[in-house]
This record gives sequence, structure tokens and C-alpha cells, in this order.
Amino acid sequence: MKATFSPYLNGIAPGIKKLIAMLRKHYDYVSVLSTDSRGFGISISQKSKNVSTETLTTERGNVVRVYRNGQYSEAAFNRFDPERPEDTCREILESLEKQRKLLENLQVRPYETGLLADEPETLLAEMETERLPEEEDMAGLIGKLTALSDLGMEKGKDLIDCSVRADSTHVSKMFLTEHRDLRQSYVYSDGSITVTGDNGERTEMAYDGISGRVGPELFDGFAPVLDRALEALKDLLRSERMEPGEYEIIASPGISGLIAHEAFGHGVEMDMFVKDRALGAEYIGKRVGSDLVTMHEGAKCGTTVASYAFDDEGTPAGDVTEIENGILKTGICDALSALRLGTEPTGNGKRENYAHKVYTRMTNTLFSAGQNTLEEMIASVSRGFLLRGVRSGMEDPKHWGIQCIVDRGYEIVDGKLTGRVVSPVVMTGYVPDLLGSVSMLGQETELDGSGFCGKGYKEWVKVAEGGPWIRAKARLG
Amino acid sequence: MLDRILELLKTSGADGWEVTDKVAETWEFYLIRHALDQNRVRKTETVSVRVYKKSEDGKFLGSAGGEIPPTADEKEARRLISQLLLAASLVKNPVYSLNKPEEIPGTAAEKADPAEIAGEFLRVLQDLPETETEDLNSAEIFVSSVRKRFLNSEGIDLTEEYPSSSLEAVINARRDGKEIELYRMYNSGTCDREKLLRDLAETLSVGRDKLIAQPTPALGRADVVFSTVAARELYTWYIYRLDAQDKYCGYSDWEIGKPVTEQAEGDKVTVKAVPFLPNSSWNSRFDREGAPIRETVILRDNVPESYHGAQQFCRYLGLEHSFIPSNFTVSGGKRSAEELRTGNYLEVLEFSDFQVDTVTGDIMGEIRLGYLHDGDRVIPVSGGSLSGTMDDFAKTIRFSRETRTYDWAEIPAVTRLTGVKVTGAE
Repeated sequence: MKATFSPYLNGIAPGIKKLIAMLRKHYDYVSVLSTDSRGFGISISQKSKNVSTETLTTERGNVVRVYRNGQYSEAAFNRFDPERPEDTCREILESLEKQRKLLENLQVRPYETGLLADEPETLLAEMETERLPEEEDMAGLIGKLTALSDLGMEKGKDLIDCSVRADSTHVSKMFLTEHRDLRQSYVYSDGSITVTGDNGERTEMAYDGISGRVGPELFDGFAPVLDRALEALKDLLRSERMEPGEYEIIASPGISGLIAHEAFGHGVEMDMFVKDRALGAEYIGKRVGSDLVTMHEGAKCGTTVASYAFDDEGTPAGDVTEIENGILKTGICDALSALRLGTEPTGNGKRENYAHKVYTRMTNTLFSAGQNTLEEMIASVSRGFLLRGVRSGMEDPKHWGIQCIVDRGYEIVDGKLTGRVVSPVVMTGYVPDLLGSVSMLGQETELDGSGFCGKGYKEWVKVAEGGPWIRAKARLG
Repeated sequence: MLDRILELLKTSGADGWEVTDKVAETWEFYLIRHALDQNRVRKTETVSVRVYKKSEDGKFLGSAGGEIPPTADEKEARRLISQLLLAASLVKNPVYSLNKPEEIPGTAAEKADPAEIAGEFLRVLQDLPETETEDLNSAEIFVSSVRKRFLNSEGIDLTEEYPSSSLEAVINARRDGKEIELYRMYNSGTCDREKLLRDLAETLSVGRDKLIAQPTPALGRADVVFSTVAARELYTWYIYRLDAQDKYCGYSDWEIGKPVTEQAEGDKVTVKAVPFLPNSSWNSRFDREGAPIRETVILRDNVPESYHGAQQFCRYLGLEHSFIPSNFTVSGGKRSAEELRTGNYLEVLEFSDFQVDTVTGDIMGEIRLGYLHDGDRVIPVSGGSLSGTMDDFAKTIRFSRETRTYDWAEIPAVTRLTGVKVTGAE
């Protein structure tokens, strides 16, 4: 079935178009992004249950972008009467005029930017889903998740709790200008299972997730997630501390994705090029990894939680080859940064929600697959660790430093897993050194979209990341 | 709109309800160097509703929450409330009581003018003591004036207005063709001009040292001194261990009256929840469930005195007058900051992202700039990481009598941990 486009947005579209026409009398460019995304979030644990009609991406509101005299300004609002667009127009003009006067008094000059194009275009993209969150049988789903939590307690050893989370969001976005009318709707869902255990000596928590640009049918496939989370907890409860040093590593597809995203992906977000905040700008056309490393980024690179028809500036979804055989080719770019850099936008202009500014953001970020089997990789390691489980990462585009916090490291000695587990593992280093050390790649790329990505410490958006199993060298602590 | 929602709730068949109506006007300025990248204004209203439904036998109380858009008409609002009510009836949590009206101590903050505060932030950035080699790369200013009203079915009806601001600043330093950056994020109520100028001037100075930093050597285990906002994460571990939800769910084994560590050779920690701290962005007289926030010691000399947190979990632990704290103070220790900075130690000023796992107590963070004090030598270092667990560090933690405030927490200005694993960058 189709994920139908929001009737609410269809209803306000004529009023928004009138608002654009009114604002065009004052500005050289006007666009409006309107959103209406509904969904549910359920969390079930042994001790507490909660249901919400919100997820991190449910929203309803509008943001106007205007341009005059080399300057872009925005006004976000969530009260709008389509019968009286003149009220909203007046309020926007007054607010932005107050800001202009303050800036003029303080002699703050604009960062001169060109005019965005406004070529005629019409699109209605209603993407496929099996089920819609708003039509889901909540009693059935809550029962299923409760049973899963109970099953986790039954199967697990030393368990304190088994918490199951299920979120599903039906996204509708409308991008309008004087000449463009783009509308898209799709459903994405993600869920996770967190198991907490205490063996009398320590308390540990393990997590595993599931995601897809699909409806609540996703949660029919939760059973293997529970098994993976329980296995991870068992390993954590017997884990030892890491002995710091440089090691050969085999990164799971999840950890490959973390490296792709944190170590490299943020470094080629080209709004950072505009501010001279990314070392990547100096490496275009240069080697940044071994011959084996090829990396793609774009909403068209897969069908995941981060895949859409157009971004929050109305740019169509893209597929950018960032690294090809170890050579950095290009980065990703939002529309305003593209104007400033004299390049083309890549469909990566995203907002946390309608009320937030656009930044260049990742969508699907992934390493391409190679030729090796996991068995071959393990056999090739004399002393190192197989890394599994993503905890977190932090970008450092200016210096290409790496911070990836990995849940578990499984020791390998002389080509064999020894059964010893270490946790947590802090992977640090210099990006070109890490990518330069990639010496083997698995045969399949896996993408995971169960997490969110921030820019610095804010601006959370949905992303997916992944890669194949990767063999490299890294500093672990 | 709010009145209409309240009427719908009263006639919905819910056994209880809570509504939070938040109206905010936000001014935002984005700068590249000192030029304006973009100016933005936001005017939003968020109406969050939670409905409660008891099971027929009265043993369980379910709840479900969600937003009702301010543009929803009566039909849509009624449908959304019905959905919540249905969802609440499917949730089986042991029954508990909602907060009741109580006298709220303190006086409400005054309405803020975002234009005035945003202007002050812009002036701070213009007055930075930049040099040819240390300057501002970019900045983002967010200033909100918020009016929040909370109501529930027990008769609570509270309103307050407050300012909330943040400044993100990126500082560059360069020498011999090499350029580095330092990242700062400040959250506060309004703009504290003097504090910001002082801290940003320090950051400009620190930038020079990062340019000449050597790779951090593999120190094995070392004493590490924390003297920045990262130290707040260490104390957050104590706060989370006393959260009623963590206790009820079994994630924390701390008990009232029982010391949190058996062999405390170091300083003993005292943590107090407070409703107000100077210029905190979290200042509030009442929590998100309408309970008054009272000055309360939760941990005294390493001994828990009180759990804190959401009404549901506090009731399960038998606490009637509880609240979700917003601000905290951690009392200072016996030694001066100077006394703690003696002998051999590593003082870390910049992490990429310092974290403390509140369940396991694991600490972790990549070092972006530290000062290695080795005898008489002080060496700026960069790279490598720290690790270890708070379960161990709590036994030997030492902290200064001087304190410093980072938005919602006043903590010792200097904290020293012993036996931290330091992975080198060499």
C-alpha cells in the first residue's frame, strides 16, 4: 500500500502558496517546508510500560526561507490559518525586520550568498509500506512486545530487565516555492531491545536494534534481535578490561558503519568546508585510504530510515561517491553551501525538524564490499580483536581524529578467536592512518539505521550507516 | 485551543490527565567568522498531553502521552485524545497517584526579551580578544523566551516564564601553516557577558598550546585532573545512581543510609538538588509533573539520603513528596585546587566527547588537549584516550574546595582521579 500524503498538508497548501506570493513582494526568493509526521513510540520493560503518539521525528509545522540583498533568513512557526495567510506574512515581516535592525545597529554584515534557483517542478512521491502506524493494532503490538520482554527474561541468565522499544513514523513533507510543488510521504520504523544483567559482581547493559523504511511490520522480525542482545550481554558480563595498544582489528559491519560515519562522513559535510572546519577540503583528489576503500553517501544509496525522495531544501536524493579506491573524490552539500562553494547540492540538506536550521547532513553512509570471507580475515590476524557493538562516536573534521566507543572486542591470537572478551573499547587515531590500514573487506555491505546523528552536540537526524566486515589496524584503549 | 483541550480531557473518561503548554519565541543568529550566515526566528506552541486510565480492578494505571498540534481542530483533538486513552488502557503499570497541588516555594523568573539577550551575545563575540593567530571561526546563538503552563486533573495549575540560551563557538589557532580548532558550547539562562569573555579568552590561549602539543605517551595508569565541564559527567554518575527509576528497575543497587563505596580513602561526595542556580537554563520552581522542586540533599558524605525522579517511580519506592530535580550542587572538598595540582599528573582540558556510563560506571574519552605534569616539566599533549570505572575511582576521588558552575551544576573546580588508564597516541 501507499503511505498516503497528509490531508492536513494538502489542506493548507493553497494558504501556504498565498503566503509565498505575499512574501515574494518583499523578497527575491521564498520557500516553505511544511511537515506533518505522525507515529507512535512504545517501550515495554518488566518494570514499566509507556506508550506515546510521538517519536523523535513526529512534528507539524512550517518554516519559511527568504532571501534579499545577499542574505538568507528563516521564520519557523506551527500556528497557521490557511484562510488568513496575511496574518502570518505580517508576523514574519515584523520579526525579521526587528532582527535586521539589531544586526544593522551592531554592524553585522551578511556572508554574501547568491540566489537559489527556482525551476518549475512538481512531484508527489507516496512510498510503499505494508502497514501504517496510525492504523496499527496497538493492543496486538503491545501484547507482542510484552511477550518478547517476558521471553527475554526467560531465556537470559542474570537478567534484571529486558526492555523493548518500537517506534514507527509516517512522514509527510511538502516543499513549496513560487514555481515548485514537491510532496513526499513514507513510513519508517525502528526498534531496539536492551537487556540489563547483574552477575553479582557487575551490572552490564547490552543493546541491539532493527530498522527499515517500512511500517510496523518491521516488529514481526524482532526475535533474532533478542537473541543477539542476550548473547552480547552474556559476553559483557564475562568481559575483561582492554589493555591499551595498537592492534589488528576486524570491524563488524556495524563498526565499519561507525567508522564511515564518524571518522570520515562528518569530515566531508561541505558546510564545514565553507567555514574552513574540515581537513577534507584539502584532500580532494588525494589519497585518504588504501586501494580497497570506496565509500558512498546518499539517500539513494539504499532503502533505509534515511532514504527519501527530496531533502528539506527540495533537492532530489543523491548517491555520491566520496572515496574511490582510496582517493577522496568529493563531499556532500546542502543548497546554500553549494552556492557558496560554487558546486551542486547533493540532496543532503536536512533539518532536525521544521523549527531547526538546515545543515549538510548524512543519510546512508557506507563502505563498498570486497572479496574476503570473515574466516579468511580472522585467520590472517596474529594478535588483535574482532569488534562488535556500537556505543557512540564523535566527529573531528578539522583534525581527522577518531573517537569510536565500541561495546565488545573479541580477542584473536594466531588466527583464532580465543574466547576472551574485552569491554568497553575506545578506538582512537588519525582517519587516513585507519583507512590506509584497511587490508581486507567482506563480501556483503549491511546498513543499520537504528540510531540518530548529531552535529556537534545537537541537531539530531535519522541516518543509516554500514559496510562489510573490515580488517584494519587501530589504537584501542 | 488549550481551553478546548482541557474541556475534551475532562469529558474523555480519563482517570487522570496532565497538560503542558509551552509557548516559545526564539531568536537565532549563525555566524561565519563575524559575518552573518543566517538569522532565524521561531514562534511555536507545544501542547503535550498525558492521559491516565485505571484497570477495572484498580490495580493498574496506564498512561499514554503525545502532542496535540495547535492547528488541530476539535475533531482532530478529540480523535488524538481518544487514541491516547485507548493506548493508556492497554498499559499495565502498578497503580500510583499523581502529584497534588502544593505550595511552590521561590519566585518565578521574569519574562525575557530575546532581542536584548541575543544582542548581548553578538556584542560578546565582537569584543573577543582575537589576535592574528587566534580568532573566532564560527558561532551559533540561540535565545528563547519561554512561557510554560502545567495543569493536571488533581488541580495543579502552574505557570512560569524563563529565558533559555545557548552559544556554540568554534575557535581557531594557527602557526606555521597549521591550524587547529576548539569547540565550546555554553548553555545558560541569559547572556553572562563577563563569564563568556573570560572563558573564551582562555580558549584562545589554550589554542596556542594545542598547536605545539605532542602525542600523548602511553602512561599506563596515571592520576588525571579534570577542571572543565567534563568533570560534571563524573558527578552525574552519582546523581543517576539515585534516580528512582534506576533504583526501582534494579539498575542501581545503592541504598539509603549505606555508603556507596566501602573503602573511601578519598574525599566524600555530597550532592544537593536545588531549584535555582545563577543563570542556569534549567531554573524552575516545579518539575515537568507539577511537583515543587525543593532544596534536598540526595547524597551526604557518600551516603544516600534520598532518591529523586518521576512521580511513578518515587511512589513505587514509597516517596510521597518527590520531584525531578533540575539543578545540582556538589560540595567542595578539603584541599585547594593548587594542592590537587601537585606531583605527576595529566590534566585534560579538551576531550572529543567525554562520557560516563551511568549503569556500568565506565568512563571514556579521546584526549584532544592535555597537560602532562612530569616533575618540573609541563608538556601539552594530544591524542589517546582515558578509561576506567567510577566504581574504582569513587574510592580515591579528590576534589577542590573551590567550586565552579556549569549551567545546571555547581561542582568542585578541580577533580583528581587516581589510576586512570591512559592509552597513548604514539
